[in-house]
Amino acid sequence: MDTGNQSQKGVPDNLRKQLALAVRSIQWSYAIFWSISDTQSGALEWGCGYYNGDIKTRKTVQAVDVHADELGLQRGDQLRELYESLSLGETSPQPKRPTAALSPEDLTDAEWYFLVCMSFVFNIGQGLPGRTLARNETVWLRNAHRADTKVFSRSLLAKAKNFLTFLLLLNYRSNCGLDLRCFLQSASIQTVACFPHLGGVIELGTTELVSEDLNLIQHIKTSFLESPSAVVFKSPDDGSNGAADNNDIICEVLDDTNMPENNLDQLLDCGEMDVCSPDNSSDDFPDNLLREESHLEDGVDGEAPPMQNGQFKNDSISNNSMNSSDCVSQTYGNPETSTRHSDGKKAADSYRHGSQKCNQQKNNSSGFQGDDIHYQVVLSSLLKSSHQLVLGSYCRNRNRESSFVNWKDRPVSSRVPQTATPQRLLKKTDVDEIDRTHVLSERKRREKLNERFTTLGSLVPSGGKVDKVSILDHTIEYLRELERKVEELESTRQSKPHDAVERTSDNYGPNKNKRKACETDKTAVDSKRARLRDSSADSITVSIADKDVLIEIRCSWRECVLVQVMEAVSKLHLDSQTVQSSNVDGILSVSIKAKCKGLKGASAGVIRQALQKVIRK
Amino acid sequence: MDNSTQESHPRPENVVSFDSPYQIYAMAISAANRRRIAVGSFIEELNNRVDILSFSEDSSYLKPIPALSFDHPYPPTKLLFNPSPSAPRNLLASSGDFLRLWEIKDASIDNVSTLNNSKTSEYSAPLTSFDWNEAEPRRIGTSSIDTTCTIWDIEKGVVETQLIAHDKEVYDIAWGEAGVFASVSADGSVRIFDLRDKEHSTIIYESPTPDTPLLRLAWNKQDLRYMATTLMDSNKIVILDIRSPTMPVAELERHNASVNAIAWAPQSCRHICSAGDDGQALLWELPTVAGPNGIDPMSMYSAGAEINQLQWSAAQPDWIAIAFGNKMQMLKV
Repeated sequence: MDTGNQSQKGVPDNLRKQLALAVRSIQWSYAIFWSISDTQSGALEWGCGYYNGDIKTRKTVQAVDVHADELGLQRGDQLRELYESLSLGETSPQPKRPTAALSPEDLTDAEWYFLVCMSFVFNIGQGLPGRTLARNETVWLRNAHRADTKVFSRSLLAKAKNFLTFLLLLNYRSNCGLDLRCFLQSASIQTVACFPHLGGVIELGTTELVSEDLNLIQHIKTSFLESPSAVVFKSPDDGSNGAADNNDIICEVLDDTNMPENNLDQLLDCGEMDVCSPDNSSDDFPDNLLREESHLEDGVDGEAPPMQNGQFKNDSISNNSMNSSDCVSQTYGNPETSTRHSDGKKAADSYRHGSQKCNQQKNNSSGFQGDDIHYQVVLSSLLKSSHQLVLGSYCRNRNRESSFVNWKDRPVSSRVPQTATPQRLLKKTDVDEIDRTHVLSERKRREKLNERFTTLGSLVPSGGKVDKVSILDHTIEYLRELERKVEELESTRQSKPHDAVERTSDNYGPNKNKRKACETDKTAVDSKRARLRDSSADSITVSIADKDVLIEIRCSWRECVLVQVMEAVSKLHLDSQTVQSSNVDGILSVSIKAKCKGLKGASAGVIRQALQKVIRK
Repeated sequence: MDNSTQESHPRPENVVSFDSPYQIYAMAISAANRRRIAVGSFIEELNNRVDILSFSEDSSYLKPIPALSFDHPYPPTKLLFNPSPSAPRNLLASSGDFLRLWEIKDASIDNVSTLNNSKTSEYSAPLTSFDWNEAEPRRIGTSSIDTTCTIWDIEKGVVETQLIAHDKEVYDIAWGEAGVFASVSADGSVRIFDLRDKEHSTIIYESPTPDTPLLRLAWNKQDLRYMATTLMDSNKIVILDIRSPTMPVAELERHNASVNAIAWAPQSCRHICSAGDDGQALLWELPTVAGPNGIDPMSMYSAGAEINQLQWSAAQPDWIAIAFGNKMQMLKV
């Protein structure tokens, strides 16, 4: 059980339960007790609170079960725990997910508002609780979400949908998106009421728009809180219902620390804001102010004049009680409101003219900007984070420095380049990766092949065609042709291998005769060549002298004839010593000189016969 | 910056350009020296180039440093500098056919190592992407078309582990913590792996139409619950919460053409930037609750040509780097 809520500042333990009961009885969304801070003098900070609004379970938003008061208390504990973990998280070095039972996404907007309220601290007189305490009166704020931040500094919070941004700003050192645009969406907390209690302030809020009912407050006090307090009862101001919402806004004048010039702005922005003065004199507004001053100096008592005038901050007014922000409140109006409305208008007008600090009423934007800047300042100091990306998304003038154009300002018709292949490069790095290296090496291989084809094409007479098939065809053809030619040439070369005359040189003496004989024979042969050719008669002459044999053969040439002759000669046991042969015009003349081997030499006739056989084969 | 004149187009100081002689794909911004940007060419050949540019936002220039330029075999699919700014060696890692580490010295860049886990010398599956673990800078995880993810210890130059991550090619990988990474694949799934339990992985998303490949993955380093992924031929960016598997937290659908690159903001956990074929770079802020019409971007930049690459580095949180065609630009956020 979380005791953090009640461990501080002497908050009565049962106060929380009292708040719980109170807020549930009136079916409002939350109750907060702001107590005097121990740490900061003159400041109000979170005491304890009870949340009774919508909660989110999973994805649905459900109204809290009326019976589950325990659940409600537990929820409150969880919220507190979450807040504390987030606050701690701010100082931790690394962004960590909060370990609380609840996580940011589980919270509704109203819960967010409640949670962020835990972080707020109000000086006495500042902010709604501060003022309540200062004046010791009940303050009722309707349309809190639309209230000016001067009035209700949490108005933007009340409006905000995107509380996650606050969470993250609290938690993480890094800066996250803070889109203030979303603050302009539908409201969350619409009514807030504060009243002093036990030295602090109790604040009640609801998401519904409730018109002021101070009896309600009283009822709460007496029924649940059991403590009398000096509360100023104001009758509800129904007359202003018809007026613009601004009428209901409590305009406050901030002290010097805030933007003085905006005091007027927001006051004047209130448009038909009614400044009520206790007196009906409208001509002399400063008098009114002074009168107010005196009133306040007298102290506020229960029967103080119902009207409180707006105390417009002039430098001249520096009352310590003026340091607190004073309000103009219509809701505190008397039934004579109508007259005061007009007074107020005049007053406003006169003041408008009178004050140097008066800005243009129409200068809403500047007021707005001032508002915004103020809000940022507050947030920054509160949340200790500011980054241009984060906070700057709100400011339009940020875009001057950025190269990015606001989405809403983007040119409508922007050219969309039509790409043939979407994500072309991406796919090349990823999807086509599987082929990429292969493609490149494959390409190299192909290039080599092509190169060789070209070379081949140039070598082969291809008749101009350069495609690979033709080149190959021609090459085949050419190759075969060449082979054929080679074969042909080789064969023709073999067919005339003996064109060249083979003469063995013999220097033997007897050969000389032979030579002569040969020569003569030759001439004889020559002369008889024609005859021989015609007659085609072979002749063999064998002459034997002792062991020397001389064989002369004349026959028509045919292949291997000479070889066969020599074979025959050796078969005849004749040892050839010299051989002379000539092939003239197809007539072979062979002259062999041999010696008989062996004792018995063959006779001439035998030799002749053998040779004739050979020749005539 | 001179804010006196309001112009609808960005002032010159907000956009700094660099024209490269070749198409640029991979880019990286140095953590050690935030003025250094590495750009890799994308030429479909063996010879590619990586240049180191010097960026000055005050003088608005982006110029290459001639001495720090080197050849790279095949186009680098990704470039990353060492994420720890105080590392002893200024390293640049590139993925392509292999994971390579390059040391950037004052006047030269040397190839420190080529990490190849292939058993055969013939063929090694090319790497589609890799991520350098910021918590554990000696760890680099690579993703490959052979369906595996390889975790390297680059100091020792060895493989810590190799996991078969998916059924099909793995296209991107991103580290979450020191021992946790996620990967996306052609099988259309986003899976988270924990190195302490290598047997099991968690599928946190599968593309709605079966087998639609998921091309890119970005893990939000500021808020580790969130991841973003893109699909093939899709203009959607799917934002995932790892605590709620299968159900995307958001689908950002404002691009007019396919999305090519995404990057989470380094300084904010709610912002993400995306770029696509429509030539637009969109800055998104993620709300807690989305309106009925979907989420609109916060702002946009129009480049005029398909933007192929986007880098948003913690070293330069105010600038976003984009690459389109032969140009590379730094855009002020």
